[in-house]
Amino acid sequence: MRSVYSLVLFFLWVSCSTPKQETLFTLLSPKETGIDFSNDLVSSEEMNILEYLYFYNGGGVALGDINNDGWVDIYFTSNQGENKLYLNKGNFQFEDITQSAGVDGGGGWSTGVTMADVNGDGLLDIYVCQVGDYKGLQGKNKLYINNGDLTFTEMAEAYGIDFEGFSTHALFFDYDNDGDLDLYLLNHSIKKPEVFSHADTKFSGQDEKGGDKLFKSQLAQGDQKMIEVTQEAGILSSSLGFGLGVGIADVNGDGWMDIYVSNDFTEDDYLYINQGDGTFRESLQEYIENTSRYSMGNDLADINNDGLPDIFTTDMLPEDPQIWMKSVGEDKQEVFDVKKRLGYGDQYVRNHLQLNRGDGKFSEIGLLTETYATDWSWSPLIFDMDNDGYKDIHVTNGIVKRPNDLDFIQYSQTPVSGLSEIEIQQRQIDMLPSMKLANFTFRNKGELVFEQVGEVWGLDQLSYSNGSAYADLDNDGDLDLVVNNTDQQAFIYRNNSEKLGHQFIQFELAGDKANHFGIGAQVWVKSGDKTLHQTLSTSRGFQSGTSTVLTFGLGKAEEVEQVYVDWGAGQIESFGTKQVNTKHRLVKGKGKADALPKIESKTVLELVTLELGWKHEENTDFDEFRREYLMPRRYAMEGPALAVGDVNGDGLDDIYLGGAKGQAGAIFLQQSEGDFILQKNPVFEQLKTAEDVVAEFIDLNGDGHLDLYVGSAGNEYAAGEVFNFDRVFLNDGKGNFRFSMNSLPPIGENTSSVAFQDVNGDGYVDIFVGAAVVTGNYGAIPRAYLLVNDGQGRFKDMTKTYFGDDFRPGMVQKALWYDVTGDGKSELVLAGEWMPIRVYQQQQDGVFSEMEPLAPAGWYYGLSALQTNTGLNGLLLGNLGLNSKLKASKPQPVKLYHGDFDGNGQDDPLVFHYMEGHLVPFATRDDLIRQIPNLKRRHESYVQYAALKSPQDLLEKEQINQARVFEVAEFQSLFIPKGEQEITPLPLKAQFSPIRDFVSFSSKGEDYVLGVGNFSGFRTDYGRKMAQPLVLMKWTPSGFEQLPLGLEARQYWGEYRYVRKLEIKGEAHLIAVRNNDFPVVFRLNP
Amino acid sequence: MSKMKNLALVLLMIVGFACQENKNYQDVITDGEYLIAAQLKLTDVIIHDIFSPPVASRIYAYPSIAAFEVAALADPSYTSLMGQLNGFDKVNFETEEEIYYPLAALAAYYKVGTAMIFSEDMVQEHKEKAFKAIRTAGVPKKVFERSVALGEQVADHVIAYSKKDNYHESRSFEKYTVTNEAHTWQPTPPAYMEGIEPHWNKIRPFLMESADQFQSPPPTAFSTEPDSQFFKEAEEVFHAVNNLTPEQKDIAYFWDCNPYKVNVKGHVMFAEKKITPGGHWMGIASIASKSAGQDWKGTAETLAYTGIALFDAFIACWDEKYRSALIRPETYINKYIDEDWLPTLQTPPFPEHTSGHSVASNAAAEALTKLFGEPFYIYDSTEVAYGLPVREFNSFREAAAEATISRLYGGIHFMPAIEFGAEKGKKLGFYVNEKVKTKSDNLARIED
Repeated sequence: MRSVYSLVLFFLWVSCSTPKQETLFTLLSPKETGIDFSNDLVSSEEMNILEYLYFYNGGGVALGDINNDGWVDIYFTSNQGENKLYLNKGNFQFEDITQSAGVDGGGGWSTGVTMADVNGDGLLDIYVCQVGDYKGLQGKNKLYINNGDLTFTEMAEAYGIDFEGFSTHALFFDYDNDGDLDLYLLNHSIKKPEVFSHADTKFSGQDEKGGDKLFKSQLAQGDQKMIEVTQEAGILSSSLGFGLGVGIADVNGDGWMDIYVSNDFTEDDYLYINQGDGTFRESLQEYIENTSRYSMGNDLADINNDGLPDIFTTDMLPEDPQIWMKSVGEDKQEVFDVKKRLGYGDQYVRNHLQLNRGDGKFSEIGLLTETYATDWSWSPLIFDMDNDGYKDIHVTNGIVKRPNDLDFIQYSQTPVSGLSEIEIQQRQIDMLPSMKLANFTFRNKGELVFEQVGEVWGLDQLSYSNGSAYADLDNDGDLDLVVNNTDQQAFIYRNNSEKLGHQFIQFELAGDKANHFGIGAQVWVKSGDKTLHQTLSTSRGFQSGTSTVLTFGLGKAEEVEQVYVDWGAGQIESFGTKQVNTKHRLVKGKGKADALPKIESKTVLELVTLELGWKHEENTDFDEFRREYLMPRRYAMEGPALAVGDVNGDGLDDIYLGGAKGQAGAIFLQQSEGDFILQKNPVFEQLKTAEDVVAEFIDLNGDGHLDLYVGSAGNEYAAGEVFNFDRVFLNDGKGNFRFSMNSLPPIGENTSSVAFQDVNGDGYVDIFVGAAVVTGNYGAIPRAYLLVNDGQGRFKDMTKTYFGDDFRPGMVQKALWYDVTGDGKSELVLAGEWMPIRVYQQQQDGVFSEMEPLAPAGWYYGLSALQTNTGLNGLLLGNLGLNSKLKASKPQPVKLYHGDFDGNGQDDPLVFHYMEGHLVPFATRDDLIRQIPNLKRRHESYVQYAALKSPQDLLEKEQINQARVFEVAEFQSLFIPKGEQEITPLPLKAQFSPIRDFVSFSSKGEDYVLGVGNFSGFRTDYGRKMAQPLVLMKWTPSGFEQLPLGLEARQYWGEYRYVRKLEIKGEAHLIAVRNNDFPVVFRLNP
Repeated sequence: MSKMKNLALVLLMIVGFACQENKNYQDVITDGEYLIAAQLKLTDVIIHDIFSPPVASRIYAYPSIAAFEVAALADPSYTSLMGQLNGFDKVNFETEEEIYYPLAALAAYYKVGTAMIFSEDMVQEHKEKAFKAIRTAGVPKKVFERSVALGEQVADHVIAYSKKDNYHESRSFEKYTVTNEAHTWQPTPPAYMEGIEPHWNKIRPFLMESADQFQSPPPTAFSTEPDSQFFKEAEEVFHAVNNLTPEQKDIAYFWDCNPYKVNVKGHVMFAEKKITPGGHWMGIASIASKSAGQDWKGTAETLAYTGIALFDAFIACWDEKYRSALIRPETYINKYIDEDWLPTLQTPPFPEHTSGHSVASNAAAEALTKLFGEPFYIYDSTEVAYGLPVREFNSFREAAAEATISRLYGGIHFMPAIEFGAEKGKKLGFYVNEKVKTKSDNLARIED
């Protein structure tokens, strides 16, 4: 033991003695800077985390040049002490001028701070938010009007914004474009957040002291004051809102500034779309699929250089697996459901990165970019930290007392008699664990790839950090960083990017009227092949604000060809070529009135309306998770089924749409004018209890007419129950289908796929039937069948003859007959979950034997053959994608241990994944115990659970031995070119969501593939996958390239199951079907 | 580390030598103190491991039955429960040689208890300490070992019996599905836990022929009309809570018996754990046994008898809970009367009708009244360890009546659930008293 210590000491000594390498950022000491500010907190009987829920939220920091000397100054807020204003004297020398300036906050509990020229005199004023009139905390928000001589006069009351209540932060911008700065005041409620009200109460409730407010400046109207316009402007101000972050950007590209508000606890975040008429419309759920649960700070900026602002929100998911596994995770499935019933959106306890698609929707890719876990986080800032032309992400984190520690929650409070209320409370606070962590830095490597570089860049000091802001403090062309810490001196980081040889360009904006600094203006910089975009806002991150100078990193680019500024409401000017490595002043009215260059988007697909009047109606009442608590996803929402073919011999494609349980399938016959008419058929009505999940038109009895095969599933009825039987309908040639009761043997698995092939060479198609899941037993392998045709459309189960006894190839999702070997005979290819891409080749004697798998095991949902006119050939594989907490690779696969581990007659599906090199359970301890109560015996506490390193630590040896183990080594959707060994993943931008089906087509001589997907039925801890319903790809010499669809996303958004080609009036179309929604039809633009 | 081990070994040896065999070891254990201490430990573990009230009733019942079976072996004036309880087969145990029965009873209790919970170490540690004290007091080694062995044999039989009560299987039964129907139970703040033990009526009762043998009348027809009976009952709860006297408040908290109360203050959340209603009554049983001066056999009888009554009470009660699946006052009042209203006590996570405490308290009170008669002074200090005061009662029925009405003061039940619950508990108590014989003759009942 002692020798280990000395070894460690030795290493410490060695590492200390090596010369310190210069990092991108250098932490400057208070001695160097003269800044010794520290937000020191003292927890007392009267004021502590139990008395005030945001006791540990910390302070903010605002950066801005208050005396217009070209050096950016710093203002810190303090909760219990004095706020501080430091004057920048150049060369990182600062002077505390708080007292002479008269801006110490007046002894109140200060929170956020914003610099803005409120009175329009060209000098930055300072607005400080406070918590007031609460349990001994006194204070009103302060407006320090800049006198221009390094002194300030507090004038909040005169302006009508001396708000007293629970302010978090303020944002000044000109929402109505009248030339003065209005005020969005972000407040937080203190009403019991744990009691859920119906989400609709946000529309009716008004919380005087905790609801957000909007104030309209009267400056442009000639009056130096503000009037509250919260309600008439459509701003929600109820006690549901626990506002912890506010940011602006033009989210929908109409030139008007929209607002994003992050709300803690149960309330959804708000996305206010500026209507351009002085009002806003809260539109979160129209734009965004899911948000952070405990949303903290946010930032809006363009992360992928497409000219559109993206949104990053922070939450509290730990990154360290050991902390993760003992901390509060997602809502339990049943609590998640309660919130859904009360009208709340989907929220997950992790950071969210909302990628603006520019089509009215965001794709949330926090998991894909691995920026989702930064522990108890506050301030995210999106800025180019190394001036390479890609904006990086910095996140502050830390809380002095960690309330999300599960051992504290469940086990800390042993009953003690004889303690007073106050003693009990003190004991509770004392027991809350403390842990300092480093802040997080993600370097943007381009193409949505991020890398953690906190340590490499010298930003990994341990701290409880809250507000943060960036600005070029030393005027060397890169952005320095300032962080307000709790119980620790503030961090002043000098950015050393100038040594990387990266170019930059900086802009000061000069707006007109009272908006001297041009707040709310957008700037686009065109340099080489890049377009860089920023919005000027002096409120960002958490309780903090950045300076009024915009800094753009340009990487190696030597010139800037064009600069566009949108001064608001689409008043765009261009300023021409600009010299790099210089600060420029852009004055409104001095540029050339212009428009942003339109990106030429040739759309190959065009949405068309087909009046079918048929909508898939899922029976959402049936809840599989009640029965199988740990199953990763639902199987009761695999429909609708879709088949396309000419069923009445008129040369026109007709359609079959298969309904959910309780909904009849429907045949639609195409008419000569291209419209479709429902072919009424009572037999579909009679059989509507069966849930249709797959359908195919094919001539089964050799009479030359297309018959209909419909596969049933739903994971509700046990195998062999009548409503699980697949159904064959024989066609009389006119599209009249007759149920052929005796065509199929009574099988009744949860059918997922059918594939037709004449396996015995008798001229009649035979059928392979694959199944997805054993009802009530996720992880068990269902049987698959080969049904052989007697020539009359009657089928006999001959699986044993062709595939041997008890053929169970896996949890099959798709089956396809495809000539893998190129010998002219088709092999059976199977894709599914927890299984590789299996291939079965028919031998001389007719029997099938399995070949080498084509691709490693995944969660494959889609399998399609690609064959184009231009000779492109291969298999497309739709997989889970990469936008998932689960990460898999060959050396570190995701594993499923399946077995009845507690001997209670129900198999338990336990998923394990690698975190930091150890194979650990994916489920939380609480969830596992719910499934297998006895596990409590093996790890008594969450700490012990978090220390698990392998399945052997969780389960007994005998349990492991009886488990069936499956694994997944690949989650990417893939392309396997025919005849080549190499598997190529589809582009990263095609990996946002699971892909369920593909269709390929050619347009203007080029090959395209459309993948369709999304799936909302995952268990809460896996999270719904709704980031990308459609993905269009073009084949290029370097492989597939993802293309924007160029369509309004809301017109086709949803979760897709199938896509087929459909000819309408002789023109090529695609029909794609969505779960619980209408089908969507696209015309292929020739 | 190794030094520590050596030290322990030395200590063990010293202890070993110190065990002077004592011919008069018979009076090492006379009363039920050891059993009561073991039950108290079990209570600690039930709280620590967070078992719900129905499950807790099961954890109390089986060990006490095992202890009582040893008492019945020791003393022919007691009658074995084998053959009396549903599915409890009669077997013979080898008792030819000298056995120290009170030790065997304790061994049986500990072994069954350990099999029922998760934190086995906590029970084991307690057992070893007790055994060491008994061994040190001079029980001869051979006798000691034989007694423990017998106790464990009895325990094995009881454990095997418990394994067939469907508990284990029920761990994987379907979880309760919340519906949108207005009258049905909804998860309640702040934890919004799912309905616990929706299939508890599938657990094999000890005595009842079926879980619905004492089916309660249904709750009042649901209505949101202000002049409806249901609305009035909700108002009754609303007003009762809003106008509590200090005494009523004390009563509500005293009988809270919520094993898992979640306290939430912003992001800070912690579970506060107390004994269950069953735990409270098992506590009263041991207090009664002590103050009646029972010997260890009497204590074993009291605990087993009360445990059986409570076990069946929870099955009967839960059967109704998920049949009617009625909305809690908190949900109803928040929705139709006052959005911000909070009950005095935290609403427990299962449907409203009927009140579990009412059924359990009345069943237990009837069983205890049969054993100890009326009046019987009870100095109820069960809750002192949880920071609550002592309350005193002049009979078990008086205590039960107070427990029953406490649910109105607590704001977690409507009156019908309280009244019908009490009725059901009494009926069940009478039935238990009729059905089970713990004494071979009628002499045992001492009227005063």
